[in-house]
Amino acid sequence: MDWGNRKDILVFLEQKDGKALNGALECLTPARALAQHTGGQVLAVLMGTDNAGAAEKVAPLADGVLAVTGGDYSDGAADAFTWALEQLAAQYEPAAVLAGNTPLGREMTARLCARLGLGSVQDATALTWDGDTPVWTVPLYGGTVLNDVVVDTLPVVATTRSGAFAKPEAGQAGPVTPVELQVPADAVKVKVAQAVKELSEAVNLEEAKVIVTGGRGMGSKEQFALVEELAALLGGVVGATRPAIEDGWVSRAHQVGQSGKIVAPALYIACGVSGATQHVSGMNGSGYVVAINKDEDAPIFDVADVGIVGDVAKVLPLMIQEIRQRKAE
Amino acid sequence: MEILVCLKQVPDDSVELHLKPGTQEVNLEGVTPVVNAFDTYALEMATRLKEAVGGSITAITIGPEGAKDAVKTCLAVGANQGCLITDPSFEGADTLGKSKILAAAIRKLEADAGKPFDLIFCGREATDKATGQVGPQLAEALGVGVVTDLVDIQQTDAGVQAKQETEEGYRLVDAPLPCVVTVNKPPYDPRYPTIKSKLAARKMPIPTLDAAALGGVAPGAAGSHVVKVYEPAKRQAGVKLKEETCEETVAKAIAMMADAKVL
Ligand SMILES: Cc1cc2nc3c(=O)[nH]c(=O)nc-3n(C[C@H](O)[C@H](O)[C@H](O)COP(=O)(O)OP(=O)(O)OC[C@H]3O[C@@H](n4cnc5c(N)ncnc54)[C@H](O)[C@@H]3O)c2cc1C
Ligand SMILES: Nc1ncnc2c1ncn2[C@@H]1O[C@H](COP(=O)(O)O)[C@@H](O)[C@H]1O
Repeated sequence: MDWGNRKDILVFLEQKDGKALNGALECLTPARALAQHTGGQVLAVLMGTDNAGAAEKVAPLADGVLAVTGGDYSDGAADAFTWALEQLAAQYEPAAVLAGNTPLGREMTARLCARLGLGSVQDATALTWDGDTPVWTVPLYGGTVLNDVVVDTLPVVATTRSGAFAKPEAGQAGPVTPVELQVPADAVKVKVAQAVKELSEAVNLEEAKVIVTGGRGMGSKEQFALVEELAALLGGVVGATRPAIEDGWVSRAHQVGQSGKIVAPALYIACGVSGATQHVSGMNGSGYVVAINKDEDAPIFDVADVGIVGDVAKVLPLMIQEIRQRKAE
Repeated sequence: MEILVCLKQVPDDSVELHLKPGTQEVNLEGVTPVVNAFDTYALEMATRLKEAVGGSITAITIGPEGAKDAVKTCLAVGANQGCLITDPSFEGADTLGKSKILAAAIRKLEADAGKPFDLIFCGREATDKATGQVGPQLAEALGVGVVTDLVDIQQTDAGVQAKQETEEGYRLVDAPLPCVVTVNKPPYDPRYPTIKSKLAARKMPIPTLDAAALGGVAPGAAGSHVVKVYEPAKRQAGVKLKEETCEETVAKAIAMMADAKVL
């Protein structure tokens, strides 16, 4: 791949409450691989009203941090973020621009590509090399088919799937460069009127070692409590399918699947889950899968290491009891 | 309110797709083409808005002749008119190319009708490739604002207010019109057509627009290319347990989990 004069890799790091998201930090890993090929630096881009806290944590993971302030870079200000990313792309002439595949990351990269006339890949799960050319793996059709894709335009623009790449090891802290970018009024078309916090619980499915997921087969909110009990017993996190959420048994922060979280715990227990592709594509990276379903032919059994054919109302209490006993011994 | 809904016809996403053995070609035999699920959510949201404030909905798609069926489906559940955008030169267009074509089609439809669209709906992503790029890129091509991943929308004095879900709650985003919105799964399901609405839709004409009708618009070279199509390593199905009693089944399962050191 001919990188021209382009060397550096810009990585947009989305923040929440003054901390860079994990999915964004993971993006620094493919960025490092790219930088090794281009001979450039990995530059982490933070945008916010105050980046100090995040910058300190990020600096050891990158060669440098660009801390952008000077406009309304508050949560959800996608117009301002997109405009600033465009300015940085012009100023730094990077070889690549990467972001986590969050709604914001997707929107910003899409708009950047429209402005600069670029191709891109979304939701990349792996980066391999064909000589000096980066080849990205992207899932199609809910993950049953994979495409290896080469981006033909520069800078290479890509978003990466949360959990697909390991977070980089900390090294020597790179310098933090404050960048003042005043957002012009005409760059901002839509405005956040109000941000409301509804869900108080922090649900960290992405980093969970154990996930116990309940589906529609749990039958009721009361019975869904069995899923919560087993999860607590195993020190794990509660997951859910879309129907379980739509029935109001648990908040949507627990959704696993194509339109929820992509997870890869060491142990995944699916209770009353049929195994639709949209769900399985979010959990088939799990280490060990246990499925409980009363239907012997449920597709979830195709991806389960241990399948328990039975009624969750009977199986779960027994499992809870048995595991409790083992713990006590 | 003049509303446009952009939709894509995709293979039925309740069917698990695989490659034809020994090839890099996806086996679509016997798989029904359907309207992208997120576009059906977009249409439902648009229809509810239309019912609340009045107006008209136009449904458009870029695709082969067969994609007319997708437009028909929309005519039976809320869209007032629709058209197919089709041309051999549009095949292989990437998201940027498609957003250019859609923008040209929008300009053409606006000129023909003598009035502009106020609001353009897209899905959050198409379930086949799930790039989620076309909506934001269409907004850029049109030079208007965009709000992504809505679960609700309302008309306001100044335009619309969109509800956007976040990790911990939601945001209300104000957007002046015209603008593009992309739709996530709202808390309701799309309505079903009735026999009557289906019959009426079947009779409605669906005009087509080709490259020439759109002033010779060309998608341009794609910005990326696929070098390999394959299937991920399959998870091996393990054992299925169904002993005499539930107690035995559970005991056996727990023993296996303990052996695998996952407890
Ligand atoms: C665009 C799109 C995106 C989507 N995104 C997601 C997503 O991110 N996540 C997601 O989960 N879904 C998603 N879905 C929905 C998905 O297609 C399935 O509908 C959903 O995963 C099914 O959930 P379920 O397994 O809980 O319910 P069902 O499919 O209804 O399965 C329930 C299962 O429980 C079993 N069962 C019933 N009673 C019992 C009992 N007493 N004991 C044991 N087993 C029992 C049944 O045999 C059945 O297999 C999406 C769909 C679309 C169209
Ligand atoms: N061929 C198409 N014709 C019309 N609209 C499309 C087409 N492809 C994508 N879109 C719109 O763009 C959205 C996102 O698609 P994508 O970027 O392909 O994931 C879809 O939900 C549609 O609203």
